[in-house]
Amino acid sequence: MHKTLKSAVVVFVGSLVAASCATNAPQDTWQPKGPNAKLIDDLQQPVFAVAGIIGLIVAAAVTYTVIKYRDRGQPIPEQTHGKPALEITLTVIPALILAVVAVFTFGAIFKLAKTDDTEMIINVTGQQWWWEYDYPVQNEFGITSPIISSGQLVMPVGTKVLLRETSRDVIHSYWIPALNGKRDAVPGRVQTLRLEADEPGIYAGQCTEFCGLSHANMRMEAVALSKEDFAKWVANQQAPYVVPAKDSLAQQGETVFLNQCVRCHQVNGLMRADGTPAIAAPDENVWSGAAPNLSHLMSRNTFAGAAFDLLSKKCRDEVWGAPSNVVGAKYLAGVTEDCLNQKDLRAWLRNAPEMKPMYANPADLEISNGKYRGMPYLALSEDDINKLVAYLLTLK
Amino acid sequence: MFSTGFKYFFGVTVLSVVALVMSVALFKNLALIGVAITFLIAAGALLTGLAIITSDGTTRDANVQTSDMTTQSLWPLVTGIGTVFLALGLVTSSIVFFGGVVVLLAALSEWMIQAWSERASSDASHNAEARKRLLNPIEFPVLAALGLGVVIFAFSRIMLTVDKSTGAVLFIVVGTLVLVAGTLFAIKPNMKRSVGAAICALGAIGIIAGGVASAVSGEREELALAAEEGHFTHKECGPEESEYFDKLKEETLSLRSAVSATIIYQDGELIAKIQGLNKPQKSITVPRSNATNIIFRNATEGEFRLVVDLGKPKTEDKDSDHDVDCTQLIETGGEQSLTLKIPKSSSADNHYKLFIAGAEDKQIIVVVP
Ligand code: HEC
Ligand SMILES: [Cu+2]
Repeated sequence: MHKTLKSAVVVFVGSLVAASCATNAPQDTWQPKGPNAKLIDDLQQPVFAVAGIIGLIVAAAVTYTVIKYRDRGQPIPEQTHGKPALEITLTVIPALILAVVAVFTFGAIFKLAKTDDTEMIINVTGQQWWWEYDYPVQNEFGITSPIISSGQLVMPVGTKVLLRETSRDVIHSYWIPALNGKRDAVPGRVQTLRLEADEPGIYAGQCTEFCGLSHANMRMEAVALSKEDFAKWVANQQAPYVVPAKDSLAQQGETVFLNQCVRCHQVNGLMRADGTPAIAAPDENVWSGAAPNLSHLMSRNTFAGAAFDLLSKKCRDEVWGAPSNVVGAKYLAGVTEDCLNQKDLRAWLRNAPEMKPMYANPADLEISNGKYRGMPYLALSEDDINKLVAYLLTLK
Repeated sequence: MFSTGFKYFFGVTVLSVVALVMSVALFKNLALIGVAITFLIAAGALLTGLAIITSDGTTRDANVQTSDMTTQSLWPLVTGIGTVFLALGLVTSSIVFFGGVVVLLAALSEWMIQAWSERASSDASHNAEARKRLLNPIEFPVLAALGLGVVIFAFSRIMLTVDKSTGAVLFIVVGTLVLVAGTLFAIKPNMKRSVGAAICALGAIGIIAGGVASAVSGEREELALAAEEGHFTHKECGPEESEYFDKLKEETLSLRSAVSATIIYQDGELIAKIQGLNKPQKSITVPRSNATNIIFRNATEGEFRLVVDLGKPKTEDKDSDHDVDCTQLIETGGEQSLTLKIPKSSSADNHYKLFIAGAEDKQIIVVVP
């Protein structure tokens, strides 16, 4: 074999082997963390094994034949055409194997499509390039008024949660590999996806249907909390708006927010100076008709389609690396001032489209009727950014 | 050595290249102009090539006599008419202007080619033949399209004027006549040309006359009324039957799955069924500014309409009526879908609900978080 070719093969196989044993692979489909994902795993393990064995047999047979009968100048052996018995056998065996696989596959598909054992529903709406979650009133879980959030899906462990997915613009697809397979979110339709987590933890996922410029930055996480922790989270999401202290930096930030941000972002309970509620109008400013609700921004720990951390590296590692019995408490602590990832949040406010490509150039808005496809560059002063960060930190 | 045709088309090509260069320099948005001129260049180049290869379509040597005898021509007249339309269009409407441009271009090209063909040789019939060879492939399809357009337009005017049952009779009669004429042509292939032409002319005149008469007398009454009052766009959402909106009811659905909720009017009560929730609900949650489909099913004796109250319209006028949308009146057992798209979250002074027309107490709250 040629020398460079040889080393190329070695490098290729070596990197394959190395890639297969990554220590931190949060989106690994071989590590189910809930019954739905286990169902899939129980199917794919044996299928993979059978396919692997057959693959090995075929590869071995091919290699043997290639070497044994390689051209050494011997005469061409007798040529035969067709051997019905052999051909029928070789058709029937794979057909039987596939039939057996099909039986189990259909069984799994029907189990995964069940909706009548649901314990909790969450509406999931995709748009370029983030996910919105809303929790309809469900008194059993203490949800007495609708909750709305984005990026991180918070759910109770050991509970059969049914996501009702749809989209505001193009087709997206929701996928948390540790908890279940994928389900497309299609405009105008509501499609369901079962999720259930065995243990508290944070499970990463990402949009798996190409949906435009920032598809790669459209990520999400499912945060499973113990039932008690989930109740605390629910209570906090329903807590009323806290007006920033008088004459604080945060209060000045609220004013900037009212001027600059409220035309897209809703903060429940926020009032205008004249005493009327500030109602956001994302339908007039954003192509999809929605922008994340920021009422409890600091209760999540990633932002902008879970593409960036709201937590600094150290605090993030503490939460994400926490064992399952304490991860809930750490998550519920939210983002405090010393844990805030100032760098990314400030960069976002300074120039969002630079951090995440979003077609937000005002010069190119003709085709979208003057509406942004993401958050635009707002030309804020550093002073305003300071005020805004102080204000956003109060949105616990 | 260079033929007249070659020089002419070569000139056109060069000029259009210049025009393209100039428009690239002058206009930012080239889309239409660029395409048009590029086609002109392509056509000019093609014709230049043809002129070279065919030596202007003649086998004329230097000593062939060209005839001075010219035939009568319609084209100066048509060119004049085109010019008038062009000028008229400048002060009246752009349709007239563009009509003038088209007539002018057509007449000028016909004129030019006729003039060229008349000097091709001394043989008049050969010259006529040359003209036909060049122009018939363009003239026939254009004239056919024009003729068809006139027939279709006239026929559509007639159909909009006569009432529905007369329309059906008319179709049968006209269809039969066409069939009879076709049969006649088929079984008598040696029929005199003039008879065939007369039959065709008669048909054409009949249709055009009918079209003109219909266009003058206007559309049939109900259509005129509907257009005037906008019945087909305006939904009347009251409990009583709406004369126009409730016409032609669609009470079956092809898409049943993947809707957000099914709203059922059952046992004197309005309930919502939502996939994943086993108990019937009295409220549904709809994402803000997102087209959301629901199905209304009437399971009660009688005809009912589902109405959605979309809150106060956007105008600041606090006293104005709420915006509504609704299904048609649905019979017992029937169902229909309705699409909700609500841009604002529900709040103290903006709440949304679904209810049965005429019975507002039968309702489902629509929550928009
Ligand atoms: C034209 C509409 C618009 C305006 C104005 C706007 N934003 Fe945004 N913002 C968006 C959109 C859309 C997103 C989601 C972008 C994404 O993740 O792809 C977003 C995302 C965010 C996020 C991340 C939220 C999350 O949960 O992921 C924050 C924080 C934010 N904006 C803050 C602000 C602040 C502060 C202002 C005012 C200075 C502001 N925005 C003004 C449209 C807007
Ligand atoms: Cu997506």
